[in-house]
Amino acid sequence: MTHSDLSDLSGVTAPVATARGLPNAHYVDPQVFAEEREALLFGNWAGVGFAKDIPNEGDAAPIDFLGVPLLAIRDGAGDVRVYQNTCRHRGMILVEEPGNIRGTIRCPYHSWCYGLDGTLRSTPHVGGPGRNLHEDIKRDDLGLVEFPSYVYRDVIFVNVSRKAPPFEEYAAKLLERWREHDRPIYPGGGRSDFVLEVKTNWKLAVENFCESYHLPWIHPGLNTYSRLEDHYHIEEPGAFSGQGTYVYRQLEGDGGEKFPDFEGLSDFWDAGAEYVSFFPNVLFGAQRDHAYAMILMPTGIDQTRELTGIYYAFDPAEQPEKAAMIDRNADLWKGVFEEDIFVVEGMQRGRYGPGFDGGKFSPVMDNPTHLFHAWAADQIQKYRDAR
Amino acid sequence: MAAFDRQDGAAVARLYGAAGDASSDIDEACFLWTHAFVFALEAGLAEAEIYRAKLVAEGRER
Repeated sequence: MTHSDLSDLSGVTAPVATARGLPNAHYVDPQVFAEEREALLFGNWAGVGFAKDIPNEGDAAPIDFLGVPLLAIRDGAGDVRVYQNTCRHRGMILVEEPGNIRGTIRCPYHSWCYGLDGTLRSTPHVGGPGRNLHEDIKRDDLGLVEFPSYVYRDVIFVNVSRKAPPFEEYAAKLLERWREHDRPIYPGGGRSDFVLEVKTNWKLAVENFCESYHLPWIHPGLNTYSRLEDHYHIEEPGAFSGQGTYVYRQLEGDGGEKFPDFEGLSDFWDAGAEYVSFFPNVLFGAQRDHAYAMILMPTGIDQTRELTGIYYAFDPAEQPEKAAMIDRNADLWKGVFEEDIFVVEGMQRGRYGPGFDGGKFSPVMDNPTHLFHAWAADQIQKYRDAR
Repeated sequence: MAAFDRQDGAAVARLYGAAGDASSDIDEACFLWTHAFVFALEAGLAEAEIYRAKLVAEGRER
């Protein structure tokens, strides 16, 4: 079987009015899942974790990214770096649990040691007992394998294939669109960090997030102040899609207090808010007074771990009086995301029905979803063509 | 072994270092200093440099 036999993508990239969605195989076939791992998730800049989770020098977090063992570390310069979590000697996993590395990353097998900068610092007994040098062990060539990484809005992005353009180029259109929001953000902490385990293919969470069509049906609470017609599509072919609103309403405390705004925003953001599925697997929300990011971490063809962080324009540690309101906001968002679970799980189960043909898009309401499908189909086709 | 059991890398490093210093056999001493160096490195101890220097002096480390 050739890769092209796995699924027929010819109808996916057609204009939205005549297109079909991605065939069922893209949600239920393990071979296609493996193909998409390479073409969509490893071939692009994927979110794998949050910088907030490794705030201090030496903090390290092992990450299993669809079988690839990664190690995110805060180095001595304060930068986040992502290595392959594998010793260059015998391929042993270096770090099993999140924690702080005070001095060096020591392989638990034969104790080869690496600095936070990835350099190989010691090779004990490599030339025999008590002899730590050997002419054939060239330490300068044996540092940790590092992946290209970039932190944007606290999300650690990694390009596993190393073939994507630099992040600033890859994300240029989003960086420009949200240039005003390029301000320090502070994690809410506590309940503002939450994880949802969802029985769905990760793409269905992308698709659900980027469209507003479902809002009045799935999130009826929004109807009280935000009608469907108050929303607009965000469409950036080849990069991201999503939805915006013109009637964002700030959360208010019992005394009418609100979260402080990010500085320097234009008038649009007084009542505007935008929600973007940044391909492949990160969902962003941008509002005047808080932001959030959700990383869709695939853990199986029909299993997705949704990692969410909510952020503010102020450091919550310095304004403890806002803690209750921060928790309330976190609970509100978690409730919204939980409302979506039955939808993405239901669409997953629906795709095990062989009669489903990818679906028929609304030419008016499903444009952001179709844009994602077209992006995925294009990426997969290029991957197939290259093989 | 108590230092190992409580995962006290600094104590382990110092025990190995002292054992190396006490050894009259240079190969044995370098073996022990190597362990002292590694555990001191892992614990982020400044004295890692002392053990490294001992090994460098014997041509066993760089």
